[in-house]
Amino acid sequence: MTVDLETILRPVDSALPPYPAKWVTLASGDEMVIRQVGRDDVPTLLEHVEPLIHVERDYYDIVAARVYAELLSFYRYRVQDEYVLVAQIDGELAAIVNGRQVRPGLGMSLHTLALRRGLRIGAHAFAAKMEYHIDILGHDEVLVVAESPIGFRRWMIEYRLEERFGTPHELGGVPSYALTRALFDRARDKLIVGRRPVPDELRERAETAILPPSDPPTPPIDLLAATRAEYDTTGTVLMMQRRIQEREVEHA
Amino acid sequence: MREVYVAGVGITTFGRLEYPLAEIAAYPAMMAMKDAGIADVEQVYVANMGGGRLSHQTGLASAVVDTLSLTPAGAETIENGPASGASAIKQGFLAVASGMYDVVLVTGAERMREVNNLDATDFIATLTHPSAEYIYGVTLPAHAAMFTRLYMERFGVTERHLAMVAVKNQNQALANEFAHLQQTITLEGILDSPEAMTNNPYVAEPLRFFDCCPVSDGGACLLLVSGDVMDRLERPRVRLAGVGQGTDSHVVAERPDPTELAAVRIAAERSMQMAECEPEDVDVAELHDAFTILEIAQSEEAGFFARGEGHLALEKGETALGGSLPINVSGGLKGRGHPVGATGIAQAHEIVTQLRHEAGRRQVEGAAIGFTCNFGGFGNNVVCLTFRREG
Amino acid sequence: MQRRIYGYRCRVCGTLHYPFRMRCKGCGNLEFFEFDPEPLPAAGTLVTFTHVHNLPAEYEVARLGLGVVELEDGTRVVGQLDIDHPTMGMPVTGGVEVVRREAYRDYWGFVFHAA
Repeated sequence: MTVDLETILRPVDSALPPYPAKWVTLASGDEMVIRQVGRDDVPTLLEHVEPLIHVERDYYDIVAARVYAELLSFYRYRVQDEYVLVAQIDGELAAIVNGRQVRPGLGMSLHTLALRRGLRIGAHAFAAKMEYHIDILGHDEVLVVAESPIGFRRWMIEYRLEERFGTPHELGGVPSYALTRALFDRARDKLIVGRRPVPDELRERAETAILPPSDPPTPPIDLLAATRAEYDTTGTVLMMQRRIQEREVEHA
Repeated sequence: MREVYVAGVGITTFGRLEYPLAEIAAYPAMMAMKDAGIADVEQVYVANMGGGRLSHQTGLASAVVDTLSLTPAGAETIENGPASGASAIKQGFLAVASGMYDVVLVTGAERMREVNNLDATDFIATLTHPSAEYIYGVTLPAHAAMFTRLYMERFGVTERHLAMVAVKNQNQALANEFAHLQQTITLEGILDSPEAMTNNPYVAEPLRFFDCCPVSDGGACLLLVSGDVMDRLERPRVRLAGVGQGTDSHVVAERPDPTELAAVRIAAERSMQMAECEPEDVDVAELHDAFTILEIAQSEEAGFFARGEGHLALEKGETALGGSLPINVSGGLKGRGHPVGATGIAQAHEIVTQLRHEAGRRQVEGAAIGFTCNFGGFGNNVVCLTFRREG
Repeated sequence: MQRRIYGYRCRVCGTLHYPFRMRCKGCGNLEFFEFDPEPLPAAGTLVTFTHVHNLPAEYEVARLGLGVVELEDGTRVVGQLDIDHPTMGMPVTGGVEVVRREAYRDYWGFVFHAA
């Protein structure tokens, strides 16, 4: 009986062309691989995303919670035509981006979650996503919304996305904007960066395992600590807080 | 005028600090008092630019003097844009040198990450002239960018030179435990690789993302004392030997030579004259690299290198640790961060630490004379300090 | 009505100021408001420029062209640029247009076009 129900509950995925992996050099000199992953990799990703649900700053909590849900629904065949791309540095997970095809010609961008800050990894990942929609899946336009002000500034204003306020975005909340093929072509030289094919050694390291991020975003430091007089011998409580944050020492 | 010594220093980690502004100012003050072993402070100066606007706290000095339980000591907030820190030190210097006070606390703090980036940019843009600059959408990066374009055309400075300053300072910050940025960058990553445009996009052409300092929270403090008080302490003797200041036109475009920073030249001259030293005597310097071009330009205006040759010295490695004049070994504003009110004092903190020979991995060997340049507005108001080690 | 940007000429020594200064930077006289407003010329040369990408909230554009222009009479001003490919030293001419819009208020200032 379960098998029969699944045929009703499970959407039929279209045959979407895969995303050809590429690699970029980051500001730090590190090499980052951006590639598509399948359902098999989702359990690992869920493990890395879950801690961010508890980071109540910079919209990590809401984005992580929603990405977790989207990954799970992808894994359990409850969303149609969803894709997941990951960015990895030395095997470590640096970003997850996802989206889906609404119908041939129309894409829906879901989320961009960067697990390492300061290197514009989110910008690379978002651009890869747009490349997938427009160049590879052949969408005429992609619907986008932003949950954070930085996202809004970077995409809506910088790329001059067109308003599609009549069309609600799947993420609910505010009305959508759209990246059209025309806009994409205009910003092409800024957006299409990265090199293909990925050199063998780099590709192998990325495909072997998706490692946990070594420096993920962490919950904000305890607001009361400064008034609780937790001093170390040099008197630098705030430095202590930073070390605690970086998990070098246990709570004193 | 009496001689003025630095008896204690303190600094917070720079970055994102979710503490009230008065605590960010008080924290390093506690450290400085502990460092000196002195708590009977007679006067407090607090350097801060955005308290009222960003942190909803005016009269910051009154809040700080209370939270440190130093009442009824006198206290004032000193605001001079990004030069608030050094201006507050100047006030502290005058207070002790005049003979009116023996122990003065000078602390600075800023909490800028409380607001989003757009509001932070606008806050800094309030430094510009209201009718001749601000209404056009002129921001400090815009001023720096227009200045950079002229500098490039006139002296042959290139985007590569700017990137070299960024890489030098940001990587140097890795040796500074208090620095905001703790992330290596490479020339390949920010300039040469095909992806450099995404890694390092234009902020205001030709200045790019890594040419600009980050927005930071932080605080720093100096405890200034008279010679008599210093004699009773067991701390290395570092004297604030020279203080100089210069101002220039508010509207940047009005200046006769648009590639000159006359206020830097005047402030540096006055400071070194008071300290009785020449530029070539300086062993270590903290310049105001809010934008990478400023490190190059200020190194020339202060007299360390000939006009138009700052970038050549950079190429030769003269301004890196180990070179003839290490500049911004702390990471500078670029790597250490730029909590506006605290920066001038953080620069002084670094120089004092260097002259005490307590700078660990980033120590400049045998440093005896140090110099700071704290740059307000876009060169409208500059305060330079010169410190000397004694004994 | 053609809008103009005004400079202020000192009645004592004739120095032209833009923007307004309380005390003449030429002769330094201590009389109040001894200035005559005088429209600034519209034509000049572009001294330096930039395109700003990170703008304050009020500007809903991707990037803004700004430049320093030396007007015919030597006065140097800042203005927005409505020029596709600016180059240093090019001749420009300025109009007075809306340069900033806040909730209830428009601000007028120099916008320079290629001459």
